[in-house]
Amino acid sequence: MTDPQVGMVMLGLFIFIIMLGFPIAFTLIAMALGFGYYAYYVAGQDFFANRIFTLLVQKAFEVTSNDVLTAVPLFLFMGYVIERANILDRLFRSLQIAAKHVPGSLAVATLLTCAMFATATGIVGAVVTLMGLLAFPAMLRAGYDTKLSAGVVCAGGCLGILIPPSILLIVYAATAGISAVKLYAAAMIPGFILAGFYVTYVVGRAFLNPALCPKLPKEETDVPFFEVVRTLLTSFFPLAVLIASVLGAILFGLATPSEAAAAGALASLILAGAYGALNFGMLKESVYLTARATAMVCYLFIGSWTFASVFALLGGQGVIERFFLGLNLSPTMFLILTQFIIFLLGWPLEWTEIIIIFVPIFLPLLETFQVDPIFFGILVALNTQTAFTTPPVAMACFYLKGVAPAHVSLSEIFKGSLPFVFMVVLCMVLVYIFPGLTLWLPDYLYTPR
Amino acid sequence: MTRFLFFIDSLSSWVGKSFAWLILVLTFGVSYEVFVRYVLGAPTTWAFDISYITYGALFLMTGAYGLSRNSHVRADVLYRFWRPRTQATMDLVLYILFFLPAVAAFIYSGWNYAAMSVRFREVSIFSPAGIPVFPLKMLIPVTGVLLLLQGLAEIIRCVLCIRSNQWPQRFHDVEEIESAVLREKQRLEREQAQPGPRGINK
Repeated sequence: MTDPQVGMVMLGLFIFIIMLGFPIAFTLIAMALGFGYYAYYVAGQDFFANRIFTLLVQKAFEVTSNDVLTAVPLFLFMGYVIERANILDRLFRSLQIAAKHVPGSLAVATLLTCAMFATATGIVGAVVTLMGLLAFPAMLRAGYDTKLSAGVVCAGGCLGILIPPSILLIVYAATAGISAVKLYAAAMIPGFILAGFYVTYVVGRAFLNPALCPKLPKEETDVPFFEVVRTLLTSFFPLAVLIASVLGAILFGLATPSEAAAAGALASLILAGAYGALNFGMLKESVYLTARATAMVCYLFIGSWTFASVFALLGGQGVIERFFLGLNLSPTMFLILTQFIIFLLGWPLEWTEIIIIFVPIFLPLLETFQVDPIFFGILVALNTQTAFTTPPVAMACFYLKGVAPAHVSLSEIFKGSLPFVFMVVLCMVLVYIFPGLTLWLPDYLYTPR
Repeated sequence: MTRFLFFIDSLSSWVGKSFAWLILVLTFGVSYEVFVRYVLGAPTTWAFDISYITYGALFLMTGAYGLSRNSHVRADVLYRFWRPRTQATMDLVLYILFFLPAVAAFIYSGWNYAAMSVRFREVSIFSPAGIPVFPLKMLIPVTGVLLLLQGLAEIIRCVLCIRSNQWPQRFHDVEEIESAVLREKQRLEREQAQPGPRGINK
């Protein structure tokens, strides 16, 4: 068997083994070790002199000294603290009374709360669960359509992995070796477009068919103007300022992503203190959860970087490249094909694995097809939104089902999420047709003129 | 066997949780750098070194803790539908075939790497401040040993599960909000479905 063939066996075997459900990080390390030993094998050499051992530890140290990845635990910590900062109820309540004159006001308030909370915490499961407990029953009580309400919570909760400062984009930047700052700038406009689509859709449907979103009873909307301003000032603005300053510091080059994340984490502790939620118990929870999630992501990186080196060394990467080149694809076809593969990978895998393990396979091809890696990254970030809401995996739908009243069926939640999936696809098409939507802002901010 | 399992679980948790607090050092340390740079106009030379060393130590040393909490991600599309006994058998085979050799190699290569670094009293290359980096490198073999022990504990867990077709309970620990809420809800539903001995609805 030639080396490239061994490389393909390595990839095939890897996919088979992870389907057996073993922790992926260690599967990667073990496979890289075994196949790497073969790749580096020199006849007559001492058993332990094989260079794969050096490769493994060097990759491990590369992960520990990666400055982009330093932002991961800090953003996670900020997210876990905000999640526990007693902020969600106030935020939802304030946006709800502020949006009282908009058709479908509760659904719009839910979307906005989800978008903001998800942006600040970046944890899809937590946002969908908490909003499933808070906003979803509120919408059902007000007589809102079940499907629409479910779709709003699921789709809104996923926005956090797209809208900066999202951890997904940090992880993509570390994987692709590109600037996290430019990637954040590139995600701004598509993020707002997608959120805008969602809001427009909800308002539009409520306007065309008022029966879907009945008007709230008078006593609930009858809030004096002063009260609206007061609740906005105490709940919406502090969080908005926090997010805006973290993002602003990054986008205007005042701080690196990890510096901004650290300042954001500090600010979130202060915010939690101001809302009377800061205590040793919540701090402990946030600290431990941060540690576990960080370990999960970073060990995946150790495995993936070692695996990718061995895979390339064996020539497996070359086989894949020749395969794609042999298909004689136009850049458009290439993009559609790769995005479709990533969409399919979203069924068995979560975005962490897709980005850390599979995206690197496509990255070297981007230059051949003249696709900007930043542009590609935004498409991937949009694409992974769909994985959370498309059956059979649809994590977001299952989270909502887990906390929803018993009469709400899973298929209602799926059906409710479907229009939002179409909007994501529409947004991807727009981003593709008008590359300026992603590339203009980073170019405007960071090209010296 | 169970006592060994509990001992390793608590060891990993204890080490992991201690190192987890480094996130506060990271938060305050990096914020301090931002503060002195913009407010006092006097940036430090060492902040970047300290930040990556703190972050590196944080994630390396919490790996075994993560394993003891089953928080390393799996592709569980098929796995979650299997009986516990099937899950445990598959895990057992792969722990022995994959995990143990991988971690052994990690310890071996990490040891050589760290020993060399300690011999030179190696300092960080990213700044002129001369921050020692060998303690971080020393943590690589240490974390390998912790992972190895936790791997043995997981193997015991698999064996216990194969015997009884039921996963032994893990220590209570903080959970992600979604799983904590879901479990609480299921508990309430179970209680409602089967009224306790006092019989609410006689």
